[in-house]
Amino acid sequence: MLSRVADALFWMSRYLERAEHLARLLDVSFHLELDLRGVSARPAEQLAHSLSVILQQPTPELNGHASGPLAGLGHWFTFEASNPACIMGCLTRARMNARGVRGNISSAMWRELNKLYWQLKDPEFASRASESPHDFYQAVECGSLLFQGVCDATMTRDEGWQFIQLGKYLERADKTLRILDVRYHMLQNLQNPMDLPLSNLQWAAVLRSCRAYEAYQRTYVGRVDPERVVEFLLLHESFPRSVRFCLEQSARALAAIEADADQNARQADRLLGRVISDLKFVEHDQLQPGRLHEFLGGLLDRCTRASVALQSQYALR
Amino acid sequence: MSETVLDAPTVNGYFKGYAQREAYDEMFDRDMRPRPHYEVLYQRLQGLPPEEFRRRKAMTDLSMLQEGVGFTVYRQEEGIERVWPMDPVPRIIPASEWKIIESGLVQRLTTLNLFLKDLYHDQFILRDRIIDPRLIYEGGYFRREFMGAKVPRDIYVHICGTDLIRDENGQYLVLEDNCRTPSGVSYMLTNRQVLKRVFPLIFEQYGVRATDDYPAALLDVLKYIAPRGNPDPTVVLLTPGIYNSAYFEHSYLAMRMGINLVEGRDLVVDQNCVWMRTTRGLRRVDVIYRRIDDDFLDPLTFRSDSMLGVPGLVNVYRAGQVALANSIGTGIADDKGIYPFVPDMIRYYLKQEPILASVETFRPVVKSQLSHILANLDKLVVKTVNESGGYGMLIGPASTAAQQAEFADKVRAHPRDFIAQPTVPLSQHPTYVDGQLEGRHVDLRPFILCGEKITVVPGALTRVALPRGSLVVNSSQGGGSKDTWVLADDGEKVS
Repeated sequence: MLSRVADALFWMSRYLERAEHLARLLDVSFHLELDLRGVSARPAEQLAHSLSVILQQPTPELNGHASGPLAGLGHWFTFEASNPACIMGCLTRARMNARGVRGNISSAMWRELNKLYWQLKDPEFASRASESPHDFYQAVECGSLLFQGVCDATMTRDEGWQFIQLGKYLERADKTLRILDVRYHMLQNLQNPMDLPLSNLQWAAVLRSCRAYEAYQRTYVGRVDPERVVEFLLLHESFPRSVRFCLEQSARALAAIEADADQNARQADRLLGRVISDLKFVEHDQLQPGRLHEFLGGLLDRCTRASVALQSQYALR
Repeated sequence: MSETVLDAPTVNGYFKGYAQREAYDEMFDRDMRPRPHYEVLYQRLQGLPPEEFRRRKAMTDLSMLQEGVGFTVYRQEEGIERVWPMDPVPRIIPASEWKIIESGLVQRLTTLNLFLKDLYHDQFILRDRIIDPRLIYEGGYFRREFMGAKVPRDIYVHICGTDLIRDENGQYLVLEDNCRTPSGVSYMLTNRQVLKRVFPLIFEQYGVRATDDYPAALLDVLKYIAPRGNPDPTVVLLTPGIYNSAYFEHSYLAMRMGINLVEGRDLVVDQNCVWMRTTRGLRRVDVIYRRIDDDFLDPLTFRSDSMLGVPGLVNVYRAGQVALANSIGTGIADDKGIYPFVPDMIRYYLKQEPILASVETFRPVVKSQLSHILANLDKLVVKTVNESGGYGMLIGPASTAAQQAEFADKVRAHPRDFIAQPTVPLSQHPTYVDGQLEGRHVDLRPFILCGEKITVVPGALTRVALPRGSLVVNSSQGGGSKDTWVLADDGEKVS
């Protein structure tokens, strides 16, 4: 496979996953903000702050007088042309990458991605983002899921497919880690029993941002317990958005790509393997409030290094 | 789906106010009776409720957008993508007409390949004074760097797109050949896919010959020219990249053939071979279907500022270690200054009479013809010999006195760079315009492949000039396209 093509497939997949994640995060956040208006002080500012940390973007200049959750924040993270990391920016780049490799993906995949792009570009539909954000973000999420489904149903499990998996799972692990890190940091003060309903709401939102709420509920009945949320999102063996699952899938894809590669060249493989074993054999007290941030930071750092190693190994970007 | 047929057909309905002028009409004879092979289509369209027709038209537009069929004008990162509009009313060609077109095109491409081989080797045709050598050496697309080079199987033009038009009497005329990197075949193929979805019941009524074999036939041609007769060569399609206006076609064809779509930066020349950079290191490339013009192909041989090409490629080609389709220097064969001589070439090389007629052409390099051109600028079409895409043209009857004066000066200054032809009123075809069917001018571009033998795909790209009265069908100038049905019979037996 051409290195340029591998690169484009990897980034197509990564950007689409990022757009999906962003859409879900915004959707959940705006719902949460509505719920919090009664119980918490300045929810919009808090929200803006946590979004900008999770997304590693500067906080946009918020127009405090604007009405509706989407007035400033939503636009910034969804459409703002000067913000390359907004949903439309990610989708545009996913599509650009796909355009460069139309011959290497199935035509059905291209059609779904192209359809999604034009649907969101449609001014009438885009205006819904402010009136009924849920519809809009739902469309982004569904579009991405549909694309992944079509991809799995139509693509040979060749090298190209593996690069798509790598992009998807590395991005997903990265985003789950960031959400956990940021939200845990912000929410660890909610220890007071009076704060219980609030804590419940907030932690449920964390799960929802990873589409993990229902899966969590089926595993642990009752109130949402922060420690269990951390465990679930980090360590679950088979939930498709847990960090461990994502990294194991990445490692599998990498192994398939590297089947006959030189042992010495497998730096990304080694890095990923080490992160996975850290997760598998984690000590309970590493997940405790005082040490969690450090642990998550270490994981994030090595995920990034694995991604960089991967790119230099295959002469990707 | 409700495609009910009306009992009493009239020329009302969608054809109310349908105007015939001096041009040949593809669907109707002079008395507004549908020609036999259009009868069924005519009835079916008339029976379509307006709302339904509008819906089908919207369906074509949406399909084209979603499939990403289009050409691109890039301004910002996102670019402006325009879909090439497809008209839902198909053009129909009966078997007997197609037979003539087909044999005429085979004869023409056979000749052009003989001509190119002759030109880059012995030049008998120049020595015998069939063509003035000055016309060749002054032609912008003659590549003297390529004299004496042996090309695989002596084929220069593997893929040719020849533009045909019809005069007032319905006679097919060759307007021009495209021997460099003709495009449009992807539209021919996707138009068919879309139309089959939009009008399945009408399609079913006709015995339309399939075009879908084209990519496989093209791949056969590309494999046939592989170096050393390699039966399992690595074939790639070389594109200038996603910013090229024909990028859709490049990716479409690569996908349909199952070959790698590469850019110049993916290829590298080493040890006099061409390689591509893959995730597993370098891999040898045997055949390149290149969609990059000669000028940009190899900065070491042609334009040194080209970023699109592959340094050293031409040398590898000369050494026979890689095959190119089309070959280098084929542009001299579709030079409009050479075009008037093709009938003579056919007689010279094949000892045959041309099957397809050409458009009468005046050449300013001949004194008497120059004065005729200058005296009739308001009636003639003047074309720049090396331009395509509808640029660099003067359409006499539609021009102003100032434009005519401008062209008169240019023609006098550079007679070799121009030709003039009478304004042929291209045939017209019913086309959907705002809920009505109106006559719009069309041309016809069939695609000819030359490998082990010469084949013509039974289909073509019909381009249609969408603005009323316009004779320019190019996509860059407000043209659209139609699906083109070549029938297995003459279309009279269908009910």
